[in-house]
This record gives sequence, C-alpha cells and structure tokens, in this order.
Amino acid sequence: MAVYKVSYVIIGNDHPGTILNQNHMPQQGEQVQLGADMFEVIEVLELMPPRGEFHYIHVTCQPWQKD
Amino acid sequence: MELRQVLQGVDLFEGLKEDELEEVAKICYEKRYFPGDTIAKEGDNSDELFIITDGFVEVLLGERPKSSARVVVSLGSGQIIGEMALLDQGPRSASVRATSDPTIVQMIQRQDFEKLCLQNTNIGYKVMRNLAADLSFKLRHRNLIDR
Repeated sequence: MAVYKVSYVIIGNDHPGTILNQNHMPQQGEQVQLGADMFEVIEVLELMPPRGEFHYIHVTCQPWQKD
Repeated sequence: MELRQVLQGVDLFEGLKEDELEEVAKICYEKRYFPGDTIAKEGDNSDELFIITDGFVEVLLGERPKSSARVVVSLGSGQIIGEMALLDQGPRSASVRATSDPTIVQMIQRQDFEKLCLQNTNIGYKVMRNLAADLSFKLRHRNLIDR
C-alpha cells in the first residue's frame, strides 16, 4: 500500500504549511482541507525519490475560492 | 487496527520487517491530547519521541513570557515530533500543541529507543537513516516555503 508523505505549502495567506502522510497522490486542481480551511492544489512535485512504499511529495496550494 | 499496521504507515519505520515492527510496537505508549494541550515545550529537557497516528499538531517557535509564538508548521498523521532532542540530547527546539480532537500519538522513551537500536542494529540502522531522511524532508519543506 503506497503512502504519500506530502509537504503542503500555501501561497496567498499566512498558513504555515502542513506535512502529513496520506494514501493518495495529490492532483493538480483538487481541493484539500487543511485544518478548517479549503485549498486548491496548483503544483505537485516529487521532492525526493520514493523508498519502498513511501513517496515524498511537495504540493503548492492557494486558498480555494468558490465560484 | 493493530499498532504494527499503524507503524507500517509511518516512514520512520520504512524497511522494517513485520517482526521488527512488533519490537518497535512493544516500546510505544499511546497518549491522547485535545486542542490546546501542550505535547512539548520549547527549551525543556525531555527524552521522548512522538509519532502522530491521528489528528494534527502545530509546531511553535518563540514561545516566551510576554511574547507570542508563531506557528511554523502543522503536522498530521505519520509525522514525528521530538526527533532533534532525541538525537542531539539538547533541549526542545520548539513547542508542540495539539489542534484536533483527539490527537493520538505513540510515545517512545529515548532509553527504550537506544536500547532497541543497539540490540538490533538492523532496526537501528534503518530507523536512524529514516530519521535523517525525515529531517531532510522537513528542511526541504522549509526551503520551499521561503522560495
């Protein structure tokens, strides 16, 4: 079972960023909830090569704006 | 879910076999926290490593009397806290507060951790390598915030 260790960095507000392990690969355009707020994924990068079942991912997000 | 299965999803234990994960599980103690609870305090001397298995914590720097601390990162499931003090035996480099209800962590005492690493050097090598990789990941995260 793959585990994605994800570094979330938020642009456009003062959110400090989040690191967590999750069971799915983040995708550009998807919405994520970090704490009480919703964000939109705008960039996904592999931060380090995978080891075993673990993938090391960086995601840049911006505050999600409801249309 | 058995603790061994929970530990399988934590990258600190990447590469450990099932029987090795059982050995690690034997030295873990579960603790529960609630929003606002302090798990570690900047400057304190302490001997524990914490593994977040459910919920979120915030890591704060600069918590002093008459000065407000700033949150530098939020950590969720699978992340570790207290690894710097565990490695260098220095005081806590930051404060850590629970933000979710509940926040569940597995606590490992330094003495138990070091004993296990010395008794089983395969576990010791892999966990120390993974600890270094975790510190590297956190540094890369920090660099990306500053770019």
